[in-house]
Amino acid sequence: MNRIDRRSALRRLAAGAGAALGSAAFPGLAQAAASTASRAASGGPKRIIFFLQNQGFDPATCIPAGMKNSGSLAGAKLPEPIEALEPYKERLHIINGLHGLHTSPSHSAFFGALGGYRGGDGVPPAGATIDYELSKVLPETLLPHLCIGMDSMENMTAKPTVANLSASGAGQPIFMHSNPNHLYQMLYGGIAEGEIRRQHEARSGLFDRMEALAAAKGASLPAADSQRYGRYVAGFHDINGLRERLAGVSDHLRNFAPAVDSRYTAPEFETDWHDALLDLGISALKSGITSVLTIGSGRGEIFGAWKGLGVQEQGHNLGHMPQPDNPIWIKIRQYNSRMLVKLMEELESVPEGSGTMMDHTLIVYTSNNADQQHTSGATWPVMLLGNCGGVFKTGRFTQLDGKRPINALYATLLQSAGVPVERYNMTEKLAAKFDAGKGPLREILA
Amino acid sequence: MRRTGFVVCVAILFLAGRVARAAETYTPGEPVQEPFEGLARSFLDKHCVECHDDTTAEADLNLLDLGAVDETNAAVWKSVWAQVALREMPPEKKPKPEVVERLRFADWIVGELQRALADKGGFHAHLDPKKANFVDHDLLFGELPEGIALKPTASPARLWRVTPQEHITRLNELINTEPPYDPARSGLRTHGDAVPTNHGGELKLYFGVDNILRWDGGTVAYATSVKSVPVVLSSARKHGFENYPDFYSVNSAEATQILGKAEDILEYMAYGPLSLVGLPEQITDDPATYDKVRPPGDLRGLPTAIVYSPKFLRPATPLIDLMKEDAAAPTDETLRAAVEYLFEALAFRPPTAAESDDYVALVKDSIAKVGRKDGIFMGLSAIFLDRDALFRPELAESGAPDEHGRVMLQDWELGLAVNHALRYLKPDPALRAAIVEGRMRTRADVEREIGRLLADESIRKPRVLQFFRDYFDHDLGGSICKDNRALADTGVPTRGDAHYFAMFHATASTDRLIEIILEKDRDVLKELLTTRQVVATEMDQVYFGRKHTAEEKKAALAAKKVSDAAAKEKEEASLAAMQDEIAALEARLKETPADRATAKALDRQKKAYEAGKKKVELARRQRSQDTVSVDVAKSDLEGTPEFARVSRPSFGAGSMKPERFLATAPAGERLGILTHPSWLVSHSDAMDNHAIHRGIWIRERLLGGGIPDVPITVDAQLPVEPESTLRERMRVTREKYCWTCHEKMDPLGLPFEIYNHAGLYRTTELDKPVDASGEIIASGDPALDGPVGNAIEMIEKLAASERVEQVFVRHAFRFWMGRNETLHDAPVLQAAHRAYRDSGGSMKALITSLVTSDAFLYRTVER
Repeated sequence: MNRIDRRSALRRLAAGAGAALGSAAFPGLAQAAASTASRAASGGPKRIIFFLQNQGFDPATCIPAGMKNSGSLAGAKLPEPIEALEPYKERLHIINGLHGLHTSPSHSAFFGALGGYRGGDGVPPAGATIDYELSKVLPETLLPHLCIGMDSMENMTAKPTVANLSASGAGQPIFMHSNPNHLYQMLYGGIAEGEIRRQHEARSGLFDRMEALAAAKGASLPAADSQRYGRYVAGFHDINGLRERLAGVSDHLRNFAPAVDSRYTAPEFETDWHDALLDLGISALKSGITSVLTIGSGRGEIFGAWKGLGVQEQGHNLGHMPQPDNPIWIKIRQYNSRMLVKLMEELESVPEGSGTMMDHTLIVYTSNNADQQHTSGATWPVMLLGNCGGVFKTGRFTQLDGKRPINALYATLLQSAGVPVERYNMTEKLAAKFDAGKGPLREILA
Repeated sequence: MRRTGFVVCVAILFLAGRVARAAETYTPGEPVQEPFEGLARSFLDKHCVECHDDTTAEADLNLLDLGAVDETNAAVWKSVWAQVALREMPPEKKPKPEVVERLRFADWIVGELQRALADKGGFHAHLDPKKANFVDHDLLFGELPEGIALKPTASPARLWRVTPQEHITRLNELINTEPPYDPARSGLRTHGDAVPTNHGGELKLYFGVDNILRWDGGTVAYATSVKSVPVVLSSARKHGFENYPDFYSVNSAEATQILGKAEDILEYMAYGPLSLVGLPEQITDDPATYDKVRPPGDLRGLPTAIVYSPKFLRPATPLIDLMKEDAAAPTDETLRAAVEYLFEALAFRPPTAAESDDYVALVKDSIAKVGRKDGIFMGLSAIFLDRDALFRPELAESGAPDEHGRVMLQDWELGLAVNHALRYLKPDPALRAAIVEGRMRTRADVEREIGRLLADESIRKPRVLQFFRDYFDHDLGGSICKDNRALADTGVPTRGDAHYFAMFHATASTDRLIEIILEKDRDVLKELLTTRQVVATEMDQVYFGRKHTAEEKKAALAAKKVSDAAAKEKEEASLAAMQDEIAALEARLKETPADRATAKALDRQKKAYEAGKKKVELARRQRSQDTVSVDVAKSDLEGTPEFARVSRPSFGAGSMKPERFLATAPAGERLGILTHPSWLVSHSDAMDNHAIHRGIWIRERLLGGGIPDVPITVDAQLPVEPESTLRERMRVTREKYCWTCHEKMDPLGLPFEIYNHAGLYRTTELDKPVDASGEIIASGDPALDGPVGNAIEMIEKLAASERVEQVFVRHAFRFWMGRNETLHDAPVLQAAHRAYRDSGGSMKALITSLVTSDAFLYRTVER
């Protein structure tokens, strides 16, 4: 990506730390409250959620009927698949006409969807993805970036962590969590009961011992190696430190940890786990554990299942179906929309500064497949929810001319987070071919 | 300008200093304890400020006010260091500093930069392999001037991080059984070879794919439903050596993932495919039995889409007995057996008694907390994160220092160093026995073991191949993202990922060609640079083909129209004949409705007609999409069957195929690996050839020269002009400010313009005769310098050069020592080059010489 001005990024980091609860029980994040006012005044997101539904996002399933040109959504009726967002449309921005031609999105662009570069099945990430980059510059949290992935029950059980969408750099994938029991253990093991507590304690003990073993083996290293090996030992320290930090705010976390019910331990459908994962993601945002949440519905691949919605078909065939007026896709998109509503409602329930958490949150809803499964990426629909203190335009539909890439959206997000970049993961040479403009998307900024 | 009197004064002081030092000897690399106003100011005043002052400021650089090294001027000093070390400055026509004066000044700058940046992340550039050529080649291989004292060499004691490929290959040993070496098909991937990258260029560990009998769906469905682990340890994919010991550490995210994946591996070790399936019925010899119970609906992409054979194909390990359902409660002995097995499998040495006790206690503790099964898996997973499973120590903690303060590696450290020189697997039984029995303590011990390992082809040595990958950088082609239209212009197929697949196949093909040359072990470098042999796939008929000229394209298009029309006519006739037959059968059936034979024949004919129609549609589609026959004169590569080492089946029917053939490239069009598409595309970009990268490669890897870093003030962009050739667009590099450096690279890269950016040979570019002229300048060998007409002419010259051979030896030194050479390594390099030459260009002789050298055997330790 283009050079990020770290100094100003760090300045922003210092300006706000974590969720703005300022609870006495949450001393590590207490200063956040003090800085909230200034941040709120300057606008920009304090947290961002990326929600990527696989198999494409057909623009006809989100653009109100008859709306050909950019304009207000006030008088329009949202299509059936996203009708759950109707009460929230004043904070919605539907954008059509970005492109991802350079990302090879047919059958999923994988890391390229959030990276804005060529992706593909089995192709390692070519660079950091936007969610990770944002997690570095948004207000510091205990766990800067959390990824959750929703798939068929079989896949989530057999492969509870996979990495397809997010990356911290070239060849450095970030794994998404798909087993809510494991994720709960990671986030809330310290305040859990029963089996989860036992697993958590065993793992904690294991890591403590491993840190001690690793440190012992670093006692007599040459000076140069000692520093490098120190980073390895520090890795354990980080893991144990995260656990300890979470334990240190356990009273605070207790207020947000979802109840572990039968959806976790005896799910009837995969959607039980999808819901549980969403609950965990929401709780991580509300409690201030994380500032960036990436949700991969279908985990960035071309399969996925939604039997809990009454959709018996699963997998690849879903992608071969046209989405408009398709009862199956209406159900899936409605389910997504309900999740978006839940995210908004939950974040609205938490006061932050003079408003609520949602006032400082941006949700980016799109697909890792552009508009459909077999696509060139000529258009890549996106919905934004939230105006982040008036930074983003809302209540609108914007039709772009297909000449600016998704990278331009990502550069805009970085700018809104205080990073003055003109482009994201796009060289001038590539831009000469794929980007008719430069800098942020003016159409979405207020 | 500074006052003249001051300059004279400084000059006198400087001369006085030189006289005083004349009787001293200088030891390269030793700290130069002099203040800035001494050595450095004198050097600058004498050699630099005449051109770089406030009035002349050549290259926009004013050194007049440059003071002692500090954080703010570090970049300028780094640039001065590069220019002086590379002998770029003072320029040709100016008086040169004495060798010792130059070396001392360069050492002083490095020392000062290290001091000034100590708490700013440090200064490490001189340790970077890209800067290794900063050490004067002529001093390494020629006579040293008087006054320079060398000391017996050694490498620093260190921890060497295991690379991702080594790590995955290590883990693969726990869960997959690789086939034994087959001398009749020596190119096939076999036990001991590295786990290669897959169809998409990704390094992954696959679980149980040898057991897979059947799956639902196509290639992507397969890839999604099989279990695999992407590499967790991070590394960069870039040009050059990737594995110096100090490049990487392991961070917390990696540690967490390794631990998670460790439990997957342990479960597979214990239960095999049963740990992968949703239903036990998926494991059967007869997939039909699974069909009776399989879940309804579309299973593509799901673990339940796969049927596994019950054959026991995974390695037999203590985990199997330990985790049996009916096994007795684990005892200290059974746990210890599992710990010791796993520790040696991961750290390549047995654990000490204390280590064994620690891990047994850890497993028992976990069992106590979460029960037998979870506790064993959780406890054992910690071993995957043991220091020695991720780092290989060369600490030389035992053994007495010699009179130079060096300690020779011994026993496990020496045995594992020798093993690591060639292998990714743990020491074979003979080497292990030698270590355990105290026979890995002397140079002769190393010579014995390295000779034995090198002589046995069945003992695979992936590190040797990795050296050639790092050296040539021929494995990056599949990672170069191509602009689709620019790619189409080259003439190669662009549908889907066809080009990227072709590149991953090309990498494996070039690997195999290197191995074939290594098997002969004669004039290895020269052969690699000049062979006309090609290991090829069918796709290479295109990639080793020749791009049509405009006239040829026109003719080919006309010919295609004719042949398409003929094919169409034939197809239509065939379909018409079938329709006639159907009509005849229908008529007959109308007359004799009860004639069952006719009814059946009619049914058959209708089906045949439908199938024929589909076939015709497919053929038409293929013809309409076929641009290759119009754009490219395919090469007629053919030859004897060969194989290349490709990944385990990772993409179902689309997985990489090992079949190859050994052919001869078209005469006059190709010569050696540098003219193969794998290398050419690896040194290209999205839109075109990358003459600068290619030139840098020749300059650094063959001529031993160095290029200073691009100044931060330079906007390194070529203009975008679709109607101009690359040579024309590179005119911007010929501006005076740029040309000082670019004249050392561009004329070495432009001779490769006889190939387009997909690696196809061409005689025209933008419909004009291609200009592939270039020049070798300032090579250090006057016999090499001079103009060249094209890449082939240039390669022929270079391949005959002794200097090029010496530079190759320098690179081998770096790879096997894991560090840059210093002047103290000159005797080692000279001996290695002699060994290579005296043996008729044997890589085995070169490696043996390096691995038995002091630089490999001895460590300097801080005690």
